Amino acid sequence: MRQLAYVFDLNKCIGCHTCTMACKQLWTNRDGREYMYWNNVESRPGKGYPKNWEQKGGGFRNGALLTDGKIPPKEDYGGVWEYNLQEVLLEGKGNRVVPHEKPTWGVNWDEDEGKGEFPNNHFFYMPRICNHCSNPACLAACPRKAIYKRPEDGLVVVDQERCKGYRYCVKACPYGKVYFNLQTGKSEKCIGCYPRVEKGTPPACVAQCVGKIRFVGYRDDKDGPIHKLVEQWKVALPLHAEYGTQPNVFYVPPMNVTPPPFEEDGRLSDKPRIPLADIEALFGPGTKQALETLGREMQKRREAKPSELTEILIGYTNKDRYRL
Amino acid sequence: MNPSNLMKQLATLAMVTSAAATVGLAATAVQAAPAAKTIRVLSAAGVDAASPEAEIWKKAPATQVALQPAFPGHGSIVGTPVTERLTAQAVRAGDRLFVKLAWSDRSANTAIKDTVQFVDGAAVQFPINGKASTTPFMGDAKNPVNVWHWRADGLTENLVAKGFGTSTPVHFEGLKSAAVRTDSGWAVVLSRSLKVKPSEGVSLQGRASIPVAFAAWDGDNQERDGLKAVTLEWWQLKF
Repeated sequence: MRQLAYVFDLNKCIGCHTCTMACKQLWTNRDGREYMYWNNVESRPGKGYPKNWEQKGGGFRNGALLTDGKIPPKEDYGGVWEYNLQEVLLEGKGNRVVPHEKPTWGVNWDEDEGKGEFPNNHFFYMPRICNHCSNPACLAACPRKAIYKRPEDGLVVVDQERCKGYRYCVKACPYGKVYFNLQTGKSEKCIGCYPRVEKGTPPACVAQCVGKIRFVGYRDDKDGPIHKLVEQWKVALPLHAEYGTQPNVFYVPPMNVTPPPFEEDGRLSDKPRIPLADIEALFGPGTKQALETLGREMQKRREAKPSELTEILIGYTNKDRYRL
Repeated sequence: MNPSNLMKQLATLAMVTSAAATVGLAATAVQAAPAAKTIRVLSAAGVDAASPEAEIWKKAPATQVALQPAFPGHGSIVGTPVTERLTAQAVRAGDRLFVKLAWSDRSANTAIKDTVQFVDGAAVQFPINGKASTTPFMGDAKNPVNVWHWRADGLTENLVAKGFGTSTPVHFEGLKSAAVRTDSGWAVVLSRSLKVKPSEGVSLQGRASIPVAFAAWDGDNQERDGLKAVTLEWWQLKF
């Protein structure tokens, strides 16, 4: 089976949510999907979307499917509120634009909050989609075999004919990336924009990315950016690999996205502003080496020396970033 | 055999068995079933038994049916169903069979308005070949079962299953249901013509008896799919 995979370079993400909007416009603005964000961008550290998804359980331990997962309640995704724009701006009724319900959570609820005290606070953006795992917990959890990996690209999809809405997949996905459609009574998720991929066009979230942070291609394409960043340079790492699902979205961990922190006397510290442990908690033990490699190659660049890695990460053209 | 011993045996067998072995187990279980596991069908020409509150149900023999946790059939199905028993009745009126099930369920879960909600339900199952040698655990590839599935959100489905995880809706307009809340829970009538096309489910035409099994789901306990209370052995519906 060929496996489509993604690399998201977190050093380039500006948190504009254009990926989220691209996905929403294409797939989730109708028919019971309104509350779903197959793609979301969350600020880290933070509770994320759905709220506290890292504590929801699911995935595998020692190869065994865990059954302790929770189905996030609707309030952990947030409401689908509308604004009275029509009345206030066009009809002159009232002077306050307000949502029709009180929002209590949402797709970017803890945006930019991060951690720490000014001036040494910090955060970074982390876009998330379905990881199209090589060992998907959602697939393993479905008693009806309604979830399968497409042999041609390894994308994980839910057969809407087979699905009965039992939500074992929602429980089992440790990333909180399977959603229950209250209108159809079935579960849905990111489909990797497979109708686009089949035509050689990158997924909408990838194509619309303003910061050009997203790379897409096949794991076995040795000349492509995925293989080079994941296998050769080892600077792109899976998110929470310990969940045991073998995710196929890889992240270039954040470095130098914020200046160093201040010491007590106002001098700049030589420590990183984002503690290594915080990044390792997401991307595992390969983080330190990846950051060292990135730092070394970036330094070459500053000294006007050639660096293949930074060339790949810049990804000048669509052809450099997308290999479909 | 008490239910917990039976469950232990089932669990043990399930670890080593294939679908074929499960069929053998089912046959054994049916042979062990006492002859008393019978639900008598009251014949009453010309009555309307469609409502659970119809007069005829005061006359139809009522049978207490004990339920046990279903063999889950898949590793992700965990938990214990809460329904312990139901009352089953059956009436034949003309060419139609009416089956009434009543059971305790304190909360009516009739709609899925949140991602964590599930609805109450009940089901009646028949072996399509009419034989008690068919496994009562959703049938198998060669011996399918016909399930009449009522859900408290108003959905009633005519299903055919060929083993765990295979139940598939089969379009059939003639399966009807009606449900009421009682003092203690639900009373539901499922009805269908005795005769159907072979593709539409089990034919009940001209039979003296047919094996039947029951299931109940409590939505409040997130019961769905294999997390259900069932009869682990076939009962006999005697016309």
